[in-house]
Order: sequence, then C-alpha cells, then structure tokens
Amino acid sequence: MGKKELKVAFLLALRSLQRGSRSSVLLTILIIGMCFTNMIFLPALFNGIGQSITQQVVDYEIGNVLVSPKSGDQYVSDLGATLDLINGMPGVERATPHFSKGATLKYRKRVLGATVRAIRPNDEKLVSPLYTKMVAGSYLGDADTGEAIIGKPVAGDASVKEEDEFQSSLGGVRVGDSISIDYGNGYVKDYRVKGIFYTGWTQSDSAVYVSYTDMALADPKATDNADYITVKVKPGYSEKFVKDELLQYGVTQKVQTTADLLAKSMGRALQSFAIINMVSLIVGIIITTVVLFIVITIKTINSRRQIGILKAIGVDKEVIMHNYGFQVIIMAVLGIIFGLIITLSMAAYLSAHPIVTPEWSATLYLTPWDLVQNSLILFAASLVAGYVPAYQVSREDIQSAMRA
Amino acid sequence: MIEITDLKKIYRMGTVEVRALDGITLDIEKGEFLGIMGASGSGKTTLLHMLGLLDEPTSGRIVIDGTDIATLTDYERTMFRLYKLGYVFQDYALVPDLTVMENVSLTAMLRKDRTEHQYHEASTDILDRIGLLDRQDHLPRELSGGQQQRVSIARAIVNKPDILFADEPCANLDSENSRMVLDLFKEINEEMHQTIVMVSHESWHQEYFHRIVRLRDGKVVSDGVNDKGSGT
Repeated sequence: MGKKELKVAFLLALRSLQRGSRSSVLLTILIIGMCFTNMIFLPALFNGIGQSITQQVVDYEIGNVLVSPKSGDQYVSDLGATLDLINGMPGVERATPHFSKGATLKYRKRVLGATVRAIRPNDEKLVSPLYTKMVAGSYLGDADTGEAIIGKPVAGDASVKEEDEFQSSLGGVRVGDSISIDYGNGYVKDYRVKGIFYTGWTQSDSAVYVSYTDMALADPKATDNADYITVKVKPGYSEKFVKDELLQYGVTQKVQTTADLLAKSMGRALQSFAIINMVSLIVGIIITTVVLFIVITIKTINSRRQIGILKAIGVDKEVIMHNYGFQVIIMAVLGIIFGLIITLSMAAYLSAHPIVTPEWSATLYLTPWDLVQNSLILFAASLVAGYVPAYQVSREDIQSAMRA
Repeated sequence: MIEITDLKKIYRMGTVEVRALDGITLDIEKGEFLGIMGASGSGKTTLLHMLGLLDEPTSGRIVIDGTDIATLTDYERTMFRLYKLGYVFQDYALVPDLTVMENVSLTAMLRKDRTEHQYHEASTDILDRIGLLDRQDHLPRELSGGQQQRVSIARAIVNKPDILFADEPCANLDSENSRMVLDLFKEINEEMHQTIVMVSHESWHQEYFHRIVRLRDGKVVSDGVNDKGSGT
C-alpha cells in the first residue's frame, strides 16, 4: 500500500463518516465511549478504595514502616533507646510509639467499651495527620495530663436517642466535658475532653487518645514499652530501604513495611478486585468488538454494490478494506476521546465529592498508564472488529458485489 | 486492440446450463465506436463484463493491447482496469458520499503517474468540458440523472483510458439527456480517438456507432460497419 492508496482510503472513510448516517456514527462513538468508561470506571473505583484504605491504614494505624514486638514478646521494650535508634536512621522522618488498652468509658448514664491509645502527641503529628482532623476543640500536647481527645462516633450526638443509634456512643459529649475511663485494672480516672476528631477511619474514630504520660499512670508498663512503633519515611526514600536499614543497624523487633502488611491483610480483597476488574475489562472489550463488528458488517452489506463499482473502476481491494479500517479507527479514536472526557469528568467530580462509607471514602484512582493501556486495548479490539468484515467484503468478486 | 477468440461463458444453476456467451470471436480496432446490440438476455452485458475484466470467461481468450488477460493476477487485473479501461454504468454508480470533483478525481488520485496538480487539472478540464464545473462541489444526489451520467463519463475518461466501456448508459435517461450523453461519447471518440464499446438495446442509438455487433443467445448474429455511423 502506497501513500496514494492510503490517501484515497482515508478520503473515502472520512466522506462516508461526514456524509453518511450521522446518527449511526454518533451512536457508535457513544457506545465506544461508554465501553471505555465501563472498562476504566470499576477498576479505577476499586483502586481508589484500595488506595483510600491503604492511605488510612498508613495515616492512622501503621505508618510507612511498623516496628512490632518480635515473636514471643508482648511489647516493644527499651522504648527510649529503640526510638532514638530509629529516629537516627537515614530516611526516617519520625517514629512514634503507640500503647493501647481496652477500657470502659462513662459519661453521665452512658457506658461504652473502647480502646484507649496512648501517643506522644508531638511525635504523632509528624507521622499521622490525626491532628488535622479535629472537628471540635484542639489536639493533645505532650505535656497534657488528665485530657483526652475522642472520636466523633464515640462522642455521639445528644439529639439522637440511645435506642436509635447505629453505633453506641457516649450520647453527646462536648469539648470540656469530663469522661471517666476505667482501665479494668482498678485504675479509674476522669479526663477532660480536649478535642473531638473525625478521620473517616473507623478504628481510629472509635478510639480515645491520651498522652503517654497519662497512660503510664494507668499502666506502668507504658513507661518504657509500646505495642508498636509507627515510622514515617522521608520523601524520596522507599519503605523497603528504611526497613532494611532498621534491620541492618540493630533493630531487633519485627519490622514490616505497609506493603508487607497489606499483602497479607488485603491480598484476598485485592485478588477479588482484580477478578472483577478483569471481568469488567473483558465484557467491555467484547461489547465494543461486537458492536463495531455489527456496525461495519451492516455498512459493508449496505455498500456491497458500491464496493463492486469501486473495484470495477480500478480501486484495489486493499484500498476498500482500509477505507472501512479508517472509519473504525476514526470512530474508535473519537469514542476513546469521548470516554476519556467522561472518565476524567467523573474522576474530577468524585475527587470533589468522594464516595463515602463508614469504612472508607474513595475517589477514582487513575494513572496515565491505566488510560493509555485501556485506550490501546480498546483500539486494538476496534481494529479487529472493523477489519474482519472489511477484509471479507473486499475479497468478494465484482459480479457478486455488483448484483447486491 | 481487442482480440476475442471463441469466448464462452456458461452459468450452471443446479443441473441447468445457461450459455450466456457461446463462442464469440471478434476484433475491435483502436478508435472504433462499437455498439453491441441485441435483445434482453442476448449476452451483451456479459460480453462487456468479460471485456472490462469484471468477470472471467469459462473458456476462450481475450487479448487487449497484446495482453492475454487470463494471465493477469487479481491485482494486475485491478491495475489494468485502473490504467487501461474506463467504465460507464447504467445507473451512473457514483460514490454518493463524494462530491462531483471527488468522484471524477478518485481513480486519477490512485495513479502513480499523476501528481495532485495533474489529476486536479485533468478533472477540472473534464468537468468543464461536460459543463458541470460549476457543480463540482455538489453531491450526486443534488444532480439530475443526465448530469450524474455525465459525471460518470467524466470519471471514466479522466485517466484517458485505452478503451471506454458503456453498459446501457442511457437506460435511465429521457431522450433529451440520452442524446446529450451520446453526443458526448461521439465528441470524445472523434476528438480524442477514444475507443468506445457500448451496449444498447435502443435502435436509435445505432446512428452513433461506427460498427454494430448484434448478439442473440450468446452468439454474434451480425457484425458490420454502420454507414450512418457519423451521428446526426
């Protein structure tokens, strides 16, 4: 095929689309666009959910690297020295310990079981964005004693009756109120609620945070122990690098990256998402291929006589085949562009208005590679769908075509 | 220019055998305006299709300008049609989505020996000659039947083919438009020495032909020079 042949094939294709049935062309572009959106949307949403959960786990649970007790130990011991060691490592932004205890909260006549987490508030600020999630009052300070911050679901809403509550709460605690915490070991203390936060991460929102100083009074083991230490990695450093550094330079505890932990805890969910994504992708490809195959088959059947005439006047069958090929290429490109516009509009909308559930909030997670990959897959499927009928009809003998 | 030897075309429909062409032997000279006439079913169009390389004979031989067309591959046949032959159809057979200019230029665009400037100039000249230059941007459906057939003729001759085949080109036209088309063929034949082979069943068309070959049941029943063949 030379340049001239391709030029004629393109001219025939362009004119057919411009001057043929516009409604059928627009419908085909619309269908390709919708198939593209369908192929992208569900995987992007699942990826968004995965990213959201991962981010919340990183922000409020484990940081980038988690240092937890080695096998057989209950706590990360020798906390001061361990923290000094970790904080001195290259690539470590900050390490902060957590010490949790189950407790019973009391406020007026309400009683609620909850986890009390001890943190070092200033270090925690460098690792977790919890301090930015205050909806009332203020965040803890390192020197605070007798003060706590509580999750919004724990505080509850005074206007909702206890029997109407979806999740048990203290029934409307406000900043400045006093709540009693019974640690179950005989230590009971009243805390002033310094602030109320809401992160959107259930485990965090269901907890009460106090300072390490306060926790040490409730449980002396908190003085130099932690359930675990969360480590924030500096930008430009990988979690794996920091993990290896920690292990190499004498951290004897169990050291795991976010990826290590999520691979175990979310592996199955991610596998399920991958299966759904694959089904969605295959269905999208099949729909597009079948629709384009039908459209081009109908076009070629309706144009059989014209194809016969073109061949009769000396137009080569390759030119005729590429004519339909170009029509499919143009429709596929326009359909993919239309699909991209829909998808990116939806991504922008969901970015401003995320899908929120009690467990997570998600937006569409799209990478340029996702868009390119799906565009190429759809484009290839379109080419196959268009060229197969075009190839068949272009091989028909002139007499049969002209008699059609 | 064209040598036809014992040409046969047999269609088989189950056990029934139909001899559309039954041993045609004929020579056509360069510059002739040949009319192939006969009743419906006599084999006129089948013969034209064989000569125009639109169909293949069951047996026999066609040699055009020294080339035995049976030896050509499918691609060579296509190129032969593009470079050597022109075809005018009964129903004009224009591409409905192309303008008049695009229809006329289409085959010229494919020729490797024509630049864009050359084929555009050739198309413009032809359209001017047939009086449709001012309609060059119109679509076929915006033209009358006679105008469409003139565009079809322009498309067929824009490449200056060796032979022009016309399959009942006036069948869908009224007598005024038919005469216009036939006058155009006559002009082309006389001025460009264009060889024209035209199929017709209208007896008044014969006044335009130099020579008339009459067919009946796939056989040549008469072949002679037309004394009135200068046109009127």
